[in-house]
Amino acid sequence: MHGMTDGIMAALLVLNLALLGTSRLAFCITLVAAQGVLTGLLPLVSSSGVTLRTLFLAAAVIALKGVVFPRLLSNAIRGADVRREVEPYVGWGLSLLLGLGLLGISFWLGAKLPLPAAAPEAALVVPGAICTILIGLLVIVSRKKAVTQVAGYLVLENGIAAFGLAVVPDVPLLIELGILLDVFVAVFVMAIMIYRISQEFDHIDADRLSALKG
Amino acid sequence: MPGDVLWLVIALPAAGSLLCLALPSARAILAATAAGVPAIATASGAVVWQVFAQGPLMTTGRWLHLDALSAYHLAVMMLIFALSSVFARVYFGAEPVPLSRRRARRFGALWYGALAAMALVVLSNNLGIMWVGVEATTLLTAFLICLHVSPVSLEATWKYLIVCSVGVAFAFMGTLLMGSAAAACSLGGTQFLNWTYVHDIAPRLDPKVVKLAFIFLLVGYGTKAGLAPLHSWLPDAHSQAPAPVSALFSGFLLNTALYCIMRFIPIVEMATGNAGWSRGLLVFFGLFSILLAAAFILAQHDLKRLLAYHSVEHLGIIAVGLGLGPLGSFAALFHTLNHSVCKALGFFSAGRVGQIYGTHDMRRITGALKAHALWGAGLFGSILALIGLAPFAIFLSEFLIVKAAAETRAYGTLVIFLAGAGVVFIGALRHAIDMAWGTPAAAPAPRRTSVLEGALVVAPLALLLVLGLWMPRPFQDMLSSAARILGGAAQ
Repeated sequence: MHGMTDGIMAALLVLNLALLGTSRLAFCITLVAAQGVLTGLLPLVSSSGVTLRTLFLAAAVIALKGVVFPRLLSNAIRGADVRREVEPYVGWGLSLLLGLGLLGISFWLGAKLPLPAAAPEAALVVPGAICTILIGLLVIVSRKKAVTQVAGYLVLENGIAAFGLAVVPDVPLLIELGILLDVFVAVFVMAIMIYRISQEFDHIDADRLSALKG
Repeated sequence: MPGDVLWLVIALPAAGSLLCLALPSARAILAATAAGVPAIATASGAVVWQVFAQGPLMTTGRWLHLDALSAYHLAVMMLIFALSSVFARVYFGAEPVPLSRRRARRFGALWYGALAAMALVVLSNNLGIMWVGVEATTLLTAFLICLHVSPVSLEATWKYLIVCSVGVAFAFMGTLLMGSAAAACSLGGTQFLNWTYVHDIAPRLDPKVVKLAFIFLLVGYGTKAGLAPLHSWLPDAHSQAPAPVSALFSGFLLNTALYCIMRFIPIVEMATGNAGWSRGLLVFFGLFSILLAAAFILAQHDLKRLLAYHSVEHLGIIAVGLGLGPLGSFAALFHTLNHSVCKALGFFSAGRVGQIYGTHDMRRITGALKAHALWGAGLFGSILALIGLAPFAIFLSEFLIVKAAAETRAYGTLVIFLAGAGVVFIGALRHAIDMAWGTPAAAPAPRRTSVLEGALVVAPLALLLVLGLWMPRPFQDMLSSAARILGGAAQ
């Protein structure tokens, strides 16, 4: 099963880099949804294998990240009439370069981290998860549209989910569900906020929300 | 198990939240919060009392757990919630435009929801569920900031959502790492995320993993607690939210996150050989918060932002206290109550004075004592208490922290703490005097003052005064037993 885990992690990394090079918001949402579905598949190929618990979790994650979140976000930007991320703080080329740099750092960190010896089963999981987390952060700080920031938050969340699977394989189901519920409400609340901001300001540029200082 | 009563502390507010959605008018909803929350608070008070009289409570399945540390925080939380709920009725009643039913419903449901979520954080024995609770408080309180929709309130809400969600995600990484350290030492089962279990096996945990976990936890929960330099969301959210919500944010939302950090201190200390590693980090963040807040307080023109930076300062003071040994922990817990009560009064007064003057700009608020004797006095009194004037209780808790610093020979900490507190004292005193005296700008018409408003000002000031002069024996025992848990005791 390790081969499949590594395959999924590699796909996550490719999606990360694709996200860094995309300006179309609709495509961003699709990429993040695809990444969410892949993260949902991870528990099925992990050491616990296909059980009732992992099937249930995978179904819940895929339904939320693959179907519900993209819908919520697309609806939120529909009213705003924005199609593209224009002039981010960090340009596309530089973003990709940074992304590759972060990938390198993640592999170095993955080897360095004092994680419990028994935990990492597949070579790519820990570095891949760290890289996904870092790229999520990069997207949040380097993009201006509110919806891209939410995409970054979801990438960060995917990375943490993969990381959790690697270091703590048997989190009680109740906690997993609580976390999913929180993420769901977070995206729901953020989507409503994007809609409200677009109504109030005629734009969804988070960098232009800068009246409050000091 | 007798501890199953703890579920009620979460279930009652959740029921209140649903009730608010069903009530027919804004008046009814505000009345339901003003009466219901103090009732829930009183009932919780009985549970807290039971913990201090008979020992910790635990539910079946070990999901919820109330020991001295959590019981003390639960008591402070219920007190602040009860005061703020009563004040919400006064505040929204005095708004120029009355609350629509839609907004009132949103307020009531989210207010009770936030109460349930914070109770979950404090009561939770499972570290994962505790995290779920913290994230839930962020999400439930977000729409309370922009209850009055305006460009700036939306901006503040967005910053709050993004900064706190991302920050708290780091705390989740920390929780996972702590879980992995505990799972490595356990023989399976689902207990490895329970605080009581991790606490028992703490000396056997891998110190490297635990240190890494604590850094993530400190950064994550520290963001939500408003420790500098992670406080960027705090002044915006506090200044844009309606006054009762600001009071709640400053009075207990920040403490909820700091409480989570407190839970981990004894575990980290036992795992790393009681070398004071985590305490050193807390002192560093605390001092940085005090100094940064002092600089911003000097240059501040907005009343509610002034109070917000005071929160950064006081959360920093609590963090410093936690880092200074047993006496410091005692003082930090005492300071938690003092700051929360005082800051609630501060935001109540700022809200009402702001309504009277139609602005929160301190340059345009003059002669507040003449414009409205009660709330002007509340504002002046709360700022005096806040900056540590004797004989108010904050003076006493800050004095104890200074004493703890001297006893542990942390002279550098002592000097920086006193310098920061001195700058805040002078800076805030100047603002307070300018606002309290002088000719009232535009001579606002005095409103009728109800007994309830009087009680909201007098009760917190009286409590701070009494605790500053005399600490009742049971209260002292309560603080000591809570501080012992921070020192590593099992209960």
